[in-house]
Amino acid sequence: MSSDKDIMIEAVDVNKEYRRAGAIIRALADVNLKIRSGEFTIIQGPTGCGKSTLLNVLSGLDLPDSGRIIFDGENIARATEDRLSRLRRQKIGFVFQDFNLVNTLTAIENVESVLWPTVLRQKEIENRAIAALRDVDLLDRKDHYPVQMSGGEKQRCGIARAIIHRPRVILADEATGNLDPESEKQVMNLLKKINSEMETTIIFVTHRDLSQYGTKTIKMDKGRITKIQ
Amino acid sequence: MWRKAILLSLREKKIFTVFTLIYTILIFLTSFFWELAFSGAIGEAATYFLAIFFGTSLFLSLLYAWILVSRKRRVWATFKCIGYTNKNIMVLVSGMILFTTLVGFIVVIEVLFHYTAALAYLHSADFLLGFNSILVGLLPVIITSALFIVVQLVAFILAYRKVLKVRPIIALRKVGG
Repeated sequence: MSSDKDIMIEAVDVNKEYRRAGAIIRALADVNLKIRSGEFTIIQGPTGCGKSTLLNVLSGLDLPDSGRIIFDGENIARATEDRLSRLRRQKIGFVFQDFNLVNTLTAIENVESVLWPTVLRQKEIENRAIAALRDVDLLDRKDHYPVQMSGGEKQRCGIARAIIHRPRVILADEATGNLDPESEKQVMNLLKKINSEMETTIIFVTHRDLSQYGTKTIKMDKGRITKIQ
Repeated sequence: MWRKAILLSLREKKIFTVFTLIYTILIFLTSFFWELAFSGAIGEAATYFLAIFFGTSLFLSLLYAWILVSRKRRVWATFKCIGYTNKNIMVLVSGMILFTTLVGFIVVIEVLFHYTAALAYLHSADFLLGFNSILVGLLPVIITSALFIVVQLVAFILAYRKVLKVRPIIALRKVGG
């Protein structure tokens, strides 16, 4: 049975508005949600429904206009930038739609880059990067540059970068949006494996119906949560 | 992190080569005019030339800092997403700028050594005896490089201001979107 102690991220009465071309757009309207540790949450909704804004706010990349974001017991809605950087380095892994790999770095260097600002020795960083690349079955591509990899391989490299520091949460924003159906399936199965084997909480934002991979699906429309299943 | 700044510099082959070449020429010319100024060979004109070279060095440093931060905004935004602080990114950016200047300095020293060695060899065979075997002394080159690095502090301030403005959220935007 789960208790409040298991809650990894909680959004309480979160609101967020944008001004665009003179109009006020309500991106998040009184959003309340709880994501428990170890859950694989799919946040699904049409373009412009506020799902990416919700992800940004949950990760501290954007601040809500009002409300609280409790991340692993800490309210991050008003945290300093340095505190948020530390939080992201220690507890969050990001997977991006456009992969966001550094083109001038090899796969292993891209994965290692997360740990460059830490006090770990280069050998330790390299060992961890090798382990992460092995986890995503990309070790044979470790010395390849992003331009030498397919979309699916780039995304697996992005996932290796997201898990090298063993984060508590992985946030993925339309992470399969640029992939063909076969690569999408591979990436989703990989995330599912990471979720079950490493017990990493995963929040996956998508406009497509990928609910079969998640343990929970949150549907959004016009800045509101319309359904949790 | 400094080692990673060097790695990033070397991988940016085009921009690194162009700026290293420009710095090499600039350090050489500035050192040469220091040498002339010390010897009093061209009088007050040397001061004007030196001012022009330092002005150019300042402009170059600002341009380099601007290019490094602006062209790689998405990279820095991604680094912020994965937990880099502004300070971490500044270490990378300033390391890239400093490394380029230092390579320029080393190339100048290397060229001057070879020039001196070649002339010493030719002098021994009674060739080109009219040429001075030391084109520019070591001291003017060191002073110039040190001053160039001081001038770069202004570029670091500009880079820092620009790095502060890079929002991590940029990394999540779709390319071209």
